[in-house]
Amino acid sequence: MMSTMNERPTATLLALDQIRFAYPDGSIGLDGCSLAIRRGSRNALLGANGSGKTTVFHHTNGLLRPQSGQIWYAGQAIDYSRSGLRRLRSKVGLVFQNPDHQIFSASVQEDVSFGPYNLGLDDATVRERVAASLLAVGMSGFADKAVHHLSFGQKKRVCIAGVLAMEPELLILDEPMAGLDYRMQEELLAVLDGLHARGITLLLATHDIDFAYRWADHIHLMRAGRCVASLDAPRLADYAGQLSALGLPLPAVIALQHGLMRRGLLAVEQRPRSCAELLTMLETARLGKGDGN
Amino acid sequence: MLIEESAYSNRWRKVSPAAKGLFALAALVAAFAAATPVTAFIIAALVAGATVGGAQVAPGRYFRVALPALIFLAAGCLSLAFSIDWNITRGDLLIQLAPDGLHTVAAVGARSLGALAALLFLALTTPLIDLVALLRRLRTPEALLDIMVLCYRMLFVFSTAVHDTVTAQSARLGYATPRLVIRSLGGLVANLTLQVWQRAHTLHVAAQARNNDGPLRFLQASFDNAARDLKIAFAAGAALVLLSLWLR
Ligand SMILES: Nc1ncnc2c1ncn2[C@@H]1O[C@H](COP(=O)(O)OP(=O)(O)OP(=O)(O)O)[C@@H](O)[C@H]1O
Ligand SMILES: [Mg+2]
Repeated sequence: MMSTMNERPTATLLALDQIRFAYPDGSIGLDGCSLAIRRGSRNALLGANGSGKTTVFHHTNGLLRPQSGQIWYAGQAIDYSRSGLRRLRSKVGLVFQNPDHQIFSASVQEDVSFGPYNLGLDDATVRERVAASLLAVGMSGFADKAVHHLSFGQKKRVCIAGVLAMEPELLILDEPMAGLDYRMQEELLAVLDGLHARGITLLLATHDIDFAYRWADHIHLMRAGRCVASLDAPRLADYAGQLSALGLPLPAVIALQHGLMRRGLLAVEQRPRSCAELLTMLETARLGKGDGN
Repeated sequence: MLIEESAYSNRWRKVSPAAKGLFALAALVAAFAAATPVTAFIIAALVAGATVGGAQVAPGRYFRVALPALIFLAAGCLSLAFSIDWNITRGDLLIQLAPDGLHTVAAVGARSLGALAALLFLALTTPLIDLVALLRRLRTPEALLDIMVLCYRMLFVFSTAVHDTVTAQSARLGYATPRLVIRSLGGLVANLTLQVWQRAHTLHVAAQARNNDGPLRFLQASFDNAARDLKIAFAAGAALVLLSLWLR
C-alpha cells in the first residue's frame, strides 16, 4: 500500500486505474478506463455521445463505485465509507450536465447554500460563500429569484455557483458550455480562468474541439468506455487519426496553420491555439519582414 | 400561476414575510371576532384594499384569483339560506327560506369573506419560498418543509415536462383524431411515470454529490427592514382587531 502511494507522483491529483463499470441494465458504462489528472491543470474530456464521460465523472465523486479497478485521489485509494465519501465530495465538486437534475431548492440562494451547509459550515460563512460564488458566476442580482423563473443558461450558472460555494480542489463540469449563448460562454470561460488562477484543478467534458484546444492544458479522448489517449493540448495535431475515429475534426486553427505553413507564411515551430493567436502571429511576422526590408 | 406571478411582482415583495404573516393572522382574527356581518365585511374590504392598493396587486388579477372561492362561498351560502323539505307521502318538494337563514348567511358569508381576504393577502404578496423560510423559523418540522420545497420545485419541473411532452406529441400529430388523443394521453402518463421515478433518483444523486446525508438545509433569506415591517404590521393588525371589537 505504502509503496504504491510513493510510486504515484504527487503531481497527480486524480487517477482512474482500469475502471470497469456496467449499469444495472447491462450496458457498459466504462470498460477498462484509465485516466490521470494533474494538480492545478485544465483538462478537457472529449468523446462522442455515450462514450462514458458522465460515467467517469460520477466515479470521481464516489456516486458510482467501480466494479473493478481503483480510483486514487491525492495518492490515496478512494475510501467508500461514509466519512471517506464525505471527505472526497468536499474536495471534488461535480456540476451536472442537466441543471434541472441538480437544483432542487426553489430559490437561487437557498440552492447555492445547500452544499456549504452540508459541509457543516456556520450561517455567517455560508452567507459569505453564497454571495462570493454568485458574484463569481455573475448572478448576484438573482439571489432571491425563483429557480423556475431563470433561463437555462442562468440555471447552469446557479449550478456552478452551488458547487463553487463548497470550494472544491477539483472542479468537474459536465458539458458546461452546452446550451449557453456566445456571451455566456465567454463569461463562463473568464470564470474558469479565474478558478484556474486560484489553483483549482479543472476537468470538463465538451464536444467543442476548438474550445478544448484553445483552453485546455491536457486533452483526454474517450471512446467506448475507455480513455484512448491523454495528451498535452499543443500536440493535438499529431492525433488527427484518433480524433477522426471519434468523429471529430482537427480544430479549425490547425488546418489553417498547416495551410499557412505550406505557403511559408508561418514558421514550423509556431503553434497558435486559437484564431486570435494565429492572427497576432501573422501580424508580428509581417511587421518583422517590414522592418527587414 | 397567477398567484405565483403576483407573489413575485407585487410592491411588497421585499417586506418581511413575518410581517405579512402577522398582518394576515390579525385580519383572520378580526374577521372571526367581528360581531356583525357589516363589521366582517368592512374588515374584508380593508384587507382587500391593502392588497390591491398597498401591495398593488392588479384588481383584475385579484378578482380572477378570488372568483373560484367566491363561487364556492356563494353556493355554500345559498344552501344555508334555504331549507328543503321533501315530503314522501305527498310526493312533493318544498323549498323554503330557512327561518333565520338570511341572518346566518350574512354572518357566515361575511366572516368567510374576511378570512378569504386575509389568506389572499398572504398568498398574493408572499412567494412560497419566503413562506417556507418563515415556517422554518417558526420551528415547523423539517421533514414537512423539505417535502413542501421539493413538491413546489417538482411542480414546475413537471409542468415543463408535461408541456414539452404534449408539444412534442402534437407536433407529430399525436392529437389529430380522438383515437390518437387516447393513445397520446396514455403515452404521456407512461412517460411522466418514468420521469417521476428518474427525477427522484437524479435529485437524490445530486444531493449526494453535494455531500448531503440527512436533512436538507438552506440559507434563509434576510429582509433588510424586518424589524420596522413587523412593527408596522403589528400596528395595522392590532388596529384591525380593535376596529372589529369596537364596531359592535
Ligand atoms: N442510468 C443508465 N442506465 C443504463 N445505461 C446507462 C445509464 N447511463 C448511461 N448509460 C450508458 O452508458 C454509456 C455511457 O454513458 P455516458 O452517459 O457516460 O456517456 P456520455 O459520454 O456522458 O454521453 P453524452 O455526450 O451523451 O453526455 C452509454 O452507452 C449509455 O447508454
Ligand atoms: Mg454525458
